[in-house]
Amino acid sequence: MPAILVPTEKWAGKVREVTLGGDSRKKVVVGGETTLPFLHFDGVIPHAPAIAIDVEDVAPQNWSPVLGAVWGDVMREGLAAWARKAVEAGADMVALTLRSADPDMGNTGPAEAVEAVKKVLAAVDVPLIVYGPGIAAKDNEVLVAVSDAFAGKRLALGLCEDKNYRTIVATCMANGHIVIANSPIDINLAKQLNILITDMDMPGDRILMDPTTGALGYGLEYTYSVMERLRVAALLGDSMTAMPMILNPGREGWRFKEAKTRDGVPTQWGDLEGRGIAWETTTAIAQLQAGADILVMRHPKAVGLVKRAIASLMATNY
Amino acid sequence: MIVIGESIHVISPRVKAALEGRDSKTLQNLAVSQVENGADVLDLNIGPQRREGHQIMPWLVDAIQDVVDVPLCLDTTNAAAMEAGLKRCKRPPIINSTDATETRMSTMMPLAARYNASLIALALGSTGLPNTAEARLEIVMASILPAAEQYGLSTENLYLDPLVLTVNGMQDQVVQAIMAVDYFKQVAVPSPKTTCGISNVSNSIPAENRPLLNQVFIAMMLGAGLASGIMNALDKDLIWVIRTVESRDTSTPRGRLYVALADAVAAGEEFQVEPSMLENPETWDIAKTINILYNRQIYAHSYLSL
Repeated sequence: MPAILVPTEKWAGKVREVTLGGDSRKKVVVGGETTLPFLHFDGVIPHAPAIAIDVEDVAPQNWSPVLGAVWGDVMREGLAAWARKAVEAGADMVALTLRSADPDMGNTGPAEAVEAVKKVLAAVDVPLIVYGPGIAAKDNEVLVAVSDAFAGKRLALGLCEDKNYRTIVATCMANGHIVIANSPIDINLAKQLNILITDMDMPGDRILMDPTTGALGYGLEYTYSVMERLRVAALLGDSMTAMPMILNPGREGWRFKEAKTRDGVPTQWGDLEGRGIAWETTTAIAQLQAGADILVMRHPKAVGLVKRAIASLMATNY
Repeated sequence: MIVIGESIHVISPRVKAALEGRDSKTLQNLAVSQVENGADVLDLNIGPQRREGHQIMPWLVDAIQDVVDVPLCLDTTNAAAMEAGLKRCKRPPIINSTDATETRMSTMMPLAARYNASLIALALGSTGLPNTAEARLEIVMASILPAAEQYGLSTENLYLDPLVLTVNGMQDQVVQAIMAVDYFKQVAVPSPKTTCGISNVSNSIPAENRPLLNQVFIAMMLGAGLASGIMNALDKDLIWVIRTVESRDTSTPRGRLYVALADAVAAGEEFQVEPSMLENPETWDIAKTINILYNRQIYAHSYLSL
């Protein structure tokens, strides 16, 4: 039987490799692809996409009851227990949100932020992503303190947006951290922010790109089409779109009624637990296929399913 | 190319104030400076002006005709204002505009026929933005041309507009609009005219970036055979590009590049940017902009700094 010749694409570009963690702790490298997701016959995919699991420094008020059932005990026990359980659930990294710095959630300051990061770093040895509360002024305040206190730990700090990028980039540069550049599902702004950040002399291999996650049913197709275009541009040689991408299918997948509401929904929707897990998993897998390098997730079962998908897709003989 | 000057536009705070205050001097100065700079036609955009449009448009037409002797392009969705303005025009005017919906065509096409005016017709139907040159052509063939015939408007009096979208967000549409112009010339005998909003290509882009994008875009549109363009006639460099391409003035490096670009578009070829064009201090910015308009590099506001 004649051999079938698989047509291949030779790309000129390559996604940058970004290393998180290290410095006597575990490190994780993401990026480095020379082809579209999982097309091993076209090029090289040196690192499997990584999973981070969300933890917060105060017990969240509005998470789905399904997540409450899984994480409730460690939410009460404290941040260290939560982080440990996240790693047991399969997290390659932990993503800590400094929620208590939100003016409506306690308005804590730099000292509490540093304390929270210290707890997580002491509890687990995987790389750490640290998000501010999502309010530019407070993000700057707490992230700068964390950056200074943990210089050299190669934390990923975010979000860094066009409004506040200078402060976050400057502190990441000074202390050897990674910056998470977030743009609002817009390919042109994503590229522009990377240009602005590298114009400050931030090395390109210390930037992760967050193109903003839309969940299944809530803009997923916008997200993945922007991701695909960014990735194709990167592979065509556009160095300002060639940063690894980080997405938040956990946060977004559990935000909406499909993943939160048990009662008063059509019976065909099925039980809430299965539905919520499916929502997060589907969102994550679509983003994986569009080029996500880091997925920040929430439910251990969803994490398990996505890790299984990654393992099969990374097996070059599938 | 017929240059339609766009500067008398209600979106400009100065123009808006002048219209509200019936300050004819400001508007007349804008008219004179555009014509002195090379405008062949002046667009007069008063907005919808639901209450006073039927008074404002004739007042504005009179004021502008007092100082310049060029055809006018009346730009309002208000049919009463449009008709009142058309009655005052000394030269055959242009109506700006109709889209391809029955509602708008049934209003604007009879007006154009009655007042011997030309009409700008946008390749935009009711089903969302067309995303290919062929979709634009389809709108012209299926909607605009039959309606023109129905309302007694000769195709010579049609200005077909391919609907130019901004490179910032609709980057793949730039080339589609250029290709559509080439198609439009061939849809009827005699050929309909073509026009478009040149500055649309740089909408939502910082002011300092806009002129160069508009200039490179107009060179490409000249190649496609665009008969007229609604543009910033106060931009001397933009007018220079038109004159340079039209007279095939290759005495400067920039002129040579613009002529070569227009020639490639005219021949239906994709213009290739050579490394030497990117290295030449006289032409690097044009060369980078060509790559942006052809959608070879993703647009970002700082694209010239890369």
